[in-house]
Amino acid sequence: MGLKVEKVNKKFGEKVAVDNISFKMDKPGIFGLLGTNGAGKTTTIRMLLGILKKDTGEITWNGKQVERKQVNFGYLPEERGIYPKIKIYEQLLYFAELKGMKKEEASKEIDYWMKRLKVEEYKNLQAEKLSKGNQQKIQFIIAILHNPELIVLDEPFSGLDPVNTELLKEVILELVEKERYIIMSSHQMSSIEEFCSDILILNRGKTVLSGNLKEIKDSYPARTLEISSKQDISTYIKEMNMNIHKNIDNNYEIMIQNEEQAHTLLKKLIEQGIKITKFELKKPSLNDIFIEKVGE
Amino acid sequence: MRDLFVVSKFTIKDMIKRKSFIISNLIILGIIVLLFNIPNILKLFNKGEDISSDTKILIVDENNIFEGTLDQINNMELGYKATISNENLTFEDIKTKIENGEIDSALIIENTDQVINIQYIVENLMMYETVPETLVNTITNIYSNLQISKLGLTQEQLQSLAPNFNFEMKQTEEQKVEGNQFAMMLMSLVLFYAIYFCAYQISTSITTEKTSKIIETLVTSTSPKTIVLGKTIGIGIVGLIQIFAIIVTALISNALFLEEGILDGIIDFENVTPFLGIITAIYFILGYAVYGLLYALTGSTVSKPEDVQSANSPVAIVAVIGFYLAYFTMMNPTSELNKLAAILPISSPFCMPFRVMMGIATTGEILVSIAILTITIYIIAKISIKIYSQAILNYGSKIKIKDMLKMK
Repeated sequence: MGLKVEKVNKKFGEKVAVDNISFKMDKPGIFGLLGTNGAGKTTTIRMLLGILKKDTGEITWNGKQVERKQVNFGYLPEERGIYPKIKIYEQLLYFAELKGMKKEEASKEIDYWMKRLKVEEYKNLQAEKLSKGNQQKIQFIIAILHNPELIVLDEPFSGLDPVNTELLKEVILELVEKERYIIMSSHQMSSIEEFCSDILILNRGKTVLSGNLKEIKDSYPARTLEISSKQDISTYIKEMNMNIHKNIDNNYEIMIQNEEQAHTLLKKLIEQGIKITKFELKKPSLNDIFIEKVGE
Repeated sequence: MRDLFVVSKFTIKDMIKRKSFIISNLIILGIIVLLFNIPNILKLFNKGEDISSDTKILIVDENNIFEGTLDQINNMELGYKATISNENLTFEDIKTKIENGEIDSALIIENTDQVINIQYIVENLMMYETVPETLVNTITNIYSNLQISKLGLTQEQLQSLAPNFNFEMKQTEEQKVEGNQFAMMLMSLVLFYAIYFCAYQISTSITTEKTSKIIETLVTSTSPKTIVLGKTIGIGIVGLIQIFAIIVTALISNALFLEEGILDGIIDFENVTPFLGIITAIYFILGYAVYGLLYALTGSTVSKPEDVQSANSPVAIVAVIGFYLAYFTMMNPTSELNKLAAILPISSPFCMPFRVMMGIATTGEILVSIAILTITIYIIAKISIKIYSQAILNYGSKIKIKDMLKMK
């Protein structure tokens, strides 16, 4: 059950926007959809939401073909936008009613979420009088107000200050606890690493990497060694033909060819009686993997 | 259906709550009340003077030619309140009387060598350019009658001199044209502006949603068809309410502020029937739907407010052609071109209500015209919704016609 995307293609004229992508979410959680600008993320999201027709392939939700009329997903678009001249409550109610909620039920949910996201004081203000961050929180409420099973969040944290970022993260984790399916698209790799169990990286419409994030990271060997000492060890490092990437007060970040090379260095330093205060082999971050996959 | 109602309701609330909408409508209604009060305002400026529309004119008749005819002149209701003086008044005397406000103008009549000289004196010829022709003609006739009566003619001889002409007009067309053309043309203009500006609002509303990026959220909440139709219905209802408010204000103002019969020369109220009201409402709705849906199409093709006007130009040109086709052929309402204007969907909303008002539209013509309009609306709605659905999420440059044609 859940969401299944199989061999989906989309062309705009001669330009291939999405080329044969497949992925699935068979249990609640957060799925990371990554890619550079123009990689096909928005087109993929629009097809998932049923507002753009795919050329070929299948998108199913709980075994049924996704069609705009039949799904009631939540969506926080990357392009932020609310009616500037209309009061917050009125526009929240408008979208809730369009999503099939009754006025009384919608009012209760509006009150709950406005309070939860600490924007209840703006209920009767025109949207244009709110800061960008607060407008973003209102748009987030629009996406989740009708209690959808699947929520698509496109760059949910961009433009938010650290306090509001933390608040939104808490709410997103609450939604996961409530067994919601969330697809998150973001350029903030740290957020993806923090939240997503599975990811898909798109480049020019094609899937360049997909799968479980932990497994992907484990499949990459360590490439960086962080080593700290109370004395200068740069001579030993250079003797082994290793590149020092950073050196701040004898805290070294060294690029290594393989893990064996790092262990040989450590052995050599111990033999010389040099005291080592830190020795850590670091796997590539998602950011490194992303750049490697789409950066050429 | 529920979403259609939600979108329409939201559109109506959004429109009627706007300050610009409230202020502009209050100004329009205020102007209407003011126009109906012009006679009362003029009265205020005349400060207790004889404010009857009659011009005070002094007939200086030193030779006493018109003795005993003053009542006859005043009873003819020529728009003048005449007084006769037999004194020998000079130009300066009359100037003083005009300056004192005793009279507005004067006619000095002198009989010299069998020639009657009439001199017209007025304060300023620029202000009173029109020579009181009716009064001069009346005086001339009275003079002729006085002279004839002195000849002692018999009744038959008198009748043969002034036969009673029985004047009758007939037309070769079967249908009779009634009503006042000026009023009809004015109302045609009002209907055009009402349809045009309401329809234009749809385009603005769609572009605003696109510009503010709210459209991304909106299209995931309901279908493009619902958005286009809901907006069209909502703005149309607001337009109807506006027209209704204008008509009601005009009728109330007419009843409260104007003297009875003062508008008889402008509008023939006998032709203003409930049927005409229904027909006008139908044509407003249908005409608005045609142009509104066309504007929905053009509005969805642009992403920046500054592009709206250029994108809307083709529709504006069609609307103006339609309006002028109706407007100018109204001068010859029984012409084939006017009949065509009443059938063509671009011009019939501006033309048919007035053919109905003039009593020359047949039921068949009305039904054919409504049927053509309805089919046109259906086709335009299909195309507009299709292009809207494809174009609304395009944030690039304005979509060209060739790209629209390629849209599946």
